[in-house]
Amino acid sequence: MRRIAVPLLLGILFITLQTTLLASPPIQRIRPDIVLILTLYLGLSYPPISGGILAFVMGYLMDLFSGNSFGLYTFSRPLLFYVAQLFNGRFYLEGYPSQFLFVFLFALVEGILDLILLTALNPTPLGNLYPLLFSFHLPLSVFTGLITPILFLLFNKGSLLLFSQPEMGTKERG
Amino acid sequence: MRIRGLFPFRRYTLPGFIILLLLIALVLMSLRVKQRKGVEFLDALMMELCSPFQKGSTFVIKTVQGVFEEYIFLIHLQRENGMLKQKVIELQQENHLMREIALSNERFQKLLEFREKISSTVIAAEVIGQDPSSWFKSLTINKGEKDKVQKGMAVISPEGAVGQILKTAPHHSTVLLITDYNSAIDTIVQRTRAKAIVEGKGENQCQLKYLLRTEEVAIGDIVVTSGLNGNFPKGLMVGEIRKVERVSQGSFQYAELVPSVDLTKLEEVLIIIESSLPPQEEKGKKVKKTPGGSRKGK
Repeated sequence: MRRIAVPLLLGILFITLQTTLLASPPIQRIRPDIVLILTLYLGLSYPPISGGILAFVMGYLMDLFSGNSFGLYTFSRPLLFYVAQLFNGRFYLEGYPSQFLFVFLFALVEGILDLILLTALNPTPLGNLYPLLFSFHLPLSVFTGLITPILFLLFNKGSLLLFSQPEMGTKERG
Repeated sequence: MRIRGLFPFRRYTLPGFIILLLLIALVLMSLRVKQRKGVEFLDALMMELCSPFQKGSTFVIKTVQGVFEEYIFLIHLQRENGMLKQKVIELQQENHLMREIALSNERFQKLLEFREKISSTVIAAEVIGQDPSSWFKSLTINKGEKDKVQKGMAVISPEGAVGQILKTAPHHSTVLLITDYNSAIDTIVQRTRAKAIVEGKGENQCQLKYLLRTEEVAIGDIVVTSGLNGNFPKGLMVGEIRKVERVSQGSFQYAELVPSVDLTKLEEVLIIIESSLPPQEEKGKKVKKTPGGSRKGK
C-alpha cells in the first residue's frame, strides 16, 4: 500500500509544483517536466502493474490541469512507462550522462508523439506547432534531462529510507 | 497448490493488463475527441482532490515571496521611502487634474457606465495554477460550479480578454487561454472594423485568421471582441497587431497580435457569468452548446 501511496502523493506534489512554482515567468520557458522524470523512474524501478496504474493516474492528472482536452498524457505516460521498463537492466543507467540522455530522449519522443496525436485528432490543422518542437520543446527536454540525475538520486535515497530496497525489480508482478 | 497456479491464463496476465490499460486510455481519448469533454464526474472529483494542493502551494510561494519583499529587501527602504514621498506628491497633483477631466468628459462617463454594467455581471477569481504541460495554455482558478461558473464562459481582466472556461469542478475551473491553439474568438479590428478570428499561437501570441485581403490593417491596430460569439461582450480589447503578411494569392491576409493581457503574470481574473447564461426555457439545450461555442472544431 505504501509503495502505491508514496509515489502517488509525490506525483500530486510534482504536478502542483509544475503548475505553480515552476510555471513562474523567469523559468517558464525552460520548465522541466518533473512528473515525466518520476514516471520514468517508476518505469525503471517499479513492478509493471502498480507502476502502470500510477503512470496512468499521473497522466490523467496532467490532462486534468492542462488545456489539453484529448487526454494525450493519459495515453502517453503509461506507454512511456512500459517502454522505460524495456530499458531496465539492458542499459547502464547509473551514471549522470546516461540518466540525462535517457530522460532527454524520452521527453523528446513524448513531444513528438503528442504532436502527432494533436495533429491527427484536431479537426482543424495545426501547422504552426511544428517549429515549436525545436524552439520550445527541445530546450525544455534538455532541462528535464539536466535535473534528472539530482531527482534520480533523491528518489533512490527516498526509496532506501522508505522501503529498505531502492530497486524493487521489474520481475515482481503487481 | 498456490492460487495463482490455478489461473490458466496466468502467463498472459501482464501483457493483457498492459493492453487493457492502454486501451482504457485510448477509449478515454476517443470519448474526449468525440464529445469534446471528459469523464465529467471523474474529472471534477480529481480536480477537487488536487486543487487544494495547488492552492496551498500558491499560498506558500506568495508568503515566501512576501517575506523576501517585506523583510529581506528592506535595505533600500529609506531611499525608496524618499522617492515614494516625492511620487505621492506628483501623483496627488496628477490625480486632481484627472478628476477635473473626468468630471467634464462625457466619453469617460460612458466608459464608467459600461464598467458598472460589466461589474454587475462578473465574479472575481484567483489564479491558483498554470498548465503543467508545454503544449497547452491554461489556468486553474478557485471558482467553480458552486459559484455559477459554467463551461464556455468568458474570462477577462481589466486589460482585456483572457480566455474561456474549459472544465469545471464544484469549486475550481480550468480556463483555456486565448493563446492556446484550441482557442478562437470572433473579433473586429477597432480602426477599420474588419472582421477576423483570433486564434491562439502559443508563446503569448495570437494570430488573426480569415481577415479579408481587401481590408486595411496595419501594425499597431487594436483588435477587440465583436460580441457575435455571445460569450465575450462587444468591444473588449484582445490585443495589438504586431505583424501583417499579405500573400500574393488567396482571399485572406495573415496578421499576428500580442494579447493586451500579460497572461504569464495573471493573478486575478473576472468571469462574465451573465452573458453566458441562457434564457430559462432553453437552458438545457443551450448549456450543451456553450462550452465549444468558440472552440475550434465545433
